[in-house]
Amino acid sequence: MSVWQSLSSAMEIQSQYCFPTTEYGLQYESALSSMVSSPAASNCNISGESLMIGELIGKLGSIGNSGEIPHHSQPMLAASKLNSPLPKSTGLNSGVADFSADPGFAERAAKFSCFGSRSFNVRTTQFGLKDNGEIAAYRSNPLAPNASLPRVSSSPAIKAMASQIGSSNNNTPLQERSELANSQEESTVSDQNPEPGLKGSNSRKRKAAPKAKTKETTPSPSPNTSKVIELNEASNEKRCKLSESNGNENGSGKAEEDAKGSNTKAPEPPKDYIHVRARRGQATDSHSLAERVRREKISERMKLLQNLVPGCSKVAGKALMLDEIINYVQSLQRQVEFLSMKLASVNTRLDFNVESLMSKDVFQSNNTLQHQMFPMNSSAPAYLGHQPQQNPPLQGNTAICPKLNTHLPQINEFIDTVPEYPAFCEGDLETLVQMGFGQNQNQEMALHPQNF
Amino acid sequence: MRSPGPLKQKILKKWMMGLQRCKKNMSILERKRAIKLSADVAMASLRNDAAYWSRVLIAKAVNEANNKKIVQKVFTIRTAACNKRIIRSKKILKRARRRRKRTAQASSITKGLVRKRRRILKSLIPGGEFMNGVTLIEETLDYIISLRAQFDVMESLARFSENQSQ
Repeated sequence: MSVWQSLSSAMEIQSQYCFPTTEYGLQYESALSSMVSSPAASNCNISGESLMIGELIGKLGSIGNSGEIPHHSQPMLAASKLNSPLPKSTGLNSGVADFSADPGFAERAAKFSCFGSRSFNVRTTQFGLKDNGEIAAYRSNPLAPNASLPRVSSSPAIKAMASQIGSSNNNTPLQERSELANSQEESTVSDQNPEPGLKGSNSRKRKAAPKAKTKETTPSPSPNTSKVIELNEASNEKRCKLSESNGNENGSGKAEEDAKGSNTKAPEPPKDYIHVRARRGQATDSHSLAERVRREKISERMKLLQNLVPGCSKVAGKALMLDEIINYVQSLQRQVEFLSMKLASVNTRLDFNVESLMSKDVFQSNNTLQHQMFPMNSSAPAYLGHQPQQNPPLQGNTAICPKLNTHLPQINEFIDTVPEYPAFCEGDLETLVQMGFGQNQNQEMALHPQNF
Repeated sequence: MRSPGPLKQKILKKWMMGLQRCKKNMSILERKRAIKLSADVAMASLRNDAAYWSRVLIAKAVNEANNKKIVQKVFTIRTAACNKRIIRSKKILKRARRRRKRTAQASSITKGLVRKRRRILKSLIPGGEFMNGVTLIEETLDYIISLRAQFDVMESLARFSENQSQ
């Protein structure tokens, strides 16, 4: 990690000061090309890495000599070929395979850093302290909107993903996200093309792909797939750490690769770091970066929770959302208890007719019965006429457990709206969202004063 | 809209399996406990090792002597392994607490509020006190989904049996 940090700071310094000695650049290029050529074992690696390395080389070319650009054109061509059509599956695979080779990549990075370590370290010690100041002074104003752009793009992308959680295919929302991110990056590239010399740092952040995990950890798929997706999630959480404050070209290329590489693939190595770009005007030391990544993760998951918990979408802020979540979990738990009590009272002996239960009629009867019978709800006048039989078992409950009385009105409201979700499928969060969790919101609001 | 799904039927099946092992002629409270326990264990067993809370739930269930039969009937998880994990997590937690906390700049009120709520959430979710921030929220997600499924199953069964009894 420190390797890349020194590298990034060195590169930035180079870009700023138009590092004159070309021999340095040539050595850099040779090392990079060796990195490109070395992973001959897996084909996909080349595409993924050449993307990034192509960017680096292109950057160097622009820094050093204009004459050197043709030298770098070859890897750039390959990179541009990969960039321009934005291949979905192959790009994704390449990006993913890139991460499958990450330990090897890290090794090469280490090798590369050792190669230039002396000189780089010298430069960092000279200029390291001034990094932040340089970065601040270095940034041009036109970059400000662009810097904010990728950030904005990522959040609606994530929201789009969150709304599509129900899709079975792992890749499609991730593809969308990468597409969105890519489109944003392309726009930044086009914006920045007229000023290749001025390269600020993009505020690009790698977001984990928790969607894959939340989609798939819901139990409806087979346990095998859930294990696979757990692997994905584990690998997502640790990714290659690369904090480069490079130009937009590199930034966009890298972000593309990041977006592609963030897609999950089944067999992935356990060791990974997180790609993080230093944000404009913020500290670039490892601790704050790690903290920021962690905060991003948490906020991401909170967004997911927002979709899941009814009534959370209106609320902004961690504290209030956590409040809602706590309420929801508590109410669910209480409901389960209450239901178990009710079942215990209804069946004097624990003899459930297993065969009849196994038939799907049990669940489908929900749909038919909800119009006819409605348990213990006095507040729903529409059903009152059908209710009188329901009351005796209730009163049996209340006699035994007077405490439950207080819970009854709350749970009634829940159960009122529960028939609206007849075919709740655990993996189908999308249907949850669509089925209008908003309908529950009114009841949820009513619950709050009771809960506190 | 998909059909109710194989998951719910699995939950139901495991739940019934657990209940079959109960002795007859229990009081209503005992029955309630048995029902709830079987449902919880069924719900947790379906998550198996994928979620931390499920293991904690099962381990706690096993620790109470009365429940062993039910738990063992429902599935054959390595309960000893679960216990060990819980013990280990507790030890790690104690060690972490003993170490001096790095005083961050948590002077704002909102951070205190969030921290309070996090503590409450930790107490709600089985095994929550062992988790850090990120894991806590993931486990919450998981737990909410499973709770929801369990509730649906129980509710449909309740309706069904009520309908039958009338």
